[in-house]
Amino acid sequence: MTTIRVVIGERLALVRAGLRRLLGDIPDVEVVGEAADGRDVVRLVMERTPAVVLMDVPLPGLNGLEATAVIVRDHPATRVLILSMHANEAYYMRALDQGATGYLLKDASLHELEVAIRSVARGERYLSAAVARTLTPPGMRRNPQWGTADPLRALTGRQREILQLIAEGHSTRAIAERLGLSAKTVETHRSRIVERLGIRDVPGLVRFAIRVGLVSADA
Amino acid sequence: MTGVGTPIRVVLADDHTLFRAGLRALLESLPDVEVVGETDDGQEALQLAIARQPHVVLLDITMPGLNGLTAAARISREVPGTRIMILSMHADEEYVREALQAGALGYLLKEARRDELEFALRAVARGEPYLSPKVTRPVVDGFVGGGVAGAGSIGRLTARQREVLQLIAEGHPTKAIAARLSLSVKTVEAHRATIMKRLDIHDVPGLVRYAIRAGLVTVER
Repeated sequence: MTTIRVVIGERLALVRAGLRRLLGDIPDVEVVGEAADGRDVVRLVMERTPAVVLMDVPLPGLNGLEATAVIVRDHPATRVLILSMHANEAYYMRALDQGATGYLLKDASLHELEVAIRSVARGERYLSAAVARTLTPPGMRRNPQWGTADPLRALTGRQREILQLIAEGHSTRAIAERLGLSAKTVETHRSRIVERLGIRDVPGLVRFAIRVGLVSADA
Repeated sequence: MTGVGTPIRVVLADDHTLFRAGLRALLESLPDVEVVGETDDGQEALQLAIARQPHVVLLDITMPGLNGLTAAARISREVPGTRIMILSMHADEEYVREALQAGALGYLLKEARRDELEFALRAVARGEPYLSPKVTRPVVDGFVGGGVAGAGSIGRLTARQREVLQLIAEGHPTKAIAARLSLSVKTVEAHRATIMKRLDIHDVPGLVRYAIRAGLVTVER
């Protein structure tokens, strides 16, 4: 049996340590890296070329769903299994849109985790039963939480990245450094974001980012 | 009290099954720790504490059945020999305060590393309190009387400062806040500086996230 190489992306150290331990106990699975920040997860994928990334959603620096899109684009041999707290169609749809192969809930059993990893490693879609039950039939599909459209779709991937960093409290200069852009470019993106969302003030942008699940309200 | 040679008996209560499984695996790798029960439900946590008389119950705050804080209060009362350690994602001062008042001896954040988990567990098993460093400050501040008693860090702000914080979080510019409260711009800026110092939050997005957690503003438009 070929070993399934896995990278873990999870913000909370104890949760990450637990997952590492659980995966380590599965004979043909090997954890080849772990990170708490979305950007580090992407870097690890490029460096270590795992078969699967187990990806938490609220990762600082770069949200797990955005990181998924980057990985799917730049390293499609790696599949992403989202590990989410939300048994909610809107979140699942967004994960699919970003290119995730699997969607597993945090209250899944260890057995489910194993099944999910194996499915995703084979390129098969995996979805927690609890989420599958909430899906509306395809003919009637609409995104229930956002009405007819996910408001985040109004922004490009780059703009979503920048919005997340703004909402996390980083200065324009820090954002520019982190993304390898000039401060002017960041400012330009910021103006676009303001235009597209119709939100002119920083607190409004922060509340929007929390409302749509791009960042959490946690400290 | 656990002596040499006695395994520390632990019950786990957390409704993230995968997290609980990982936690169990981490604890079972310690030679002198024995997990004697686990559950995803607060009511069952109480039953397990009564039935198994563990040294420590590791308890999450948000659980179905009986919520973690209520379970903690009942376990403290009904199984006094069992110590309680809250294990939570949330560093919010209100949670910490209520947990301690409910009789929890320890409060550990899920962002802790595994060696901190081990240290905390052993401390609590010995009957010593343990707080993750991030939650220590509000407890200390509350102890040395930084503001209105019992009201949390939001109570360390004066009523005026809470008003200002709310208006900041709602997105009003400084001049507008000054006009609305009939203050000078300088005064509003001074209030903002004090708020940031008292909350130990040094950027506006951080203030906004805090205001949401404290219930001063909602995330709606």
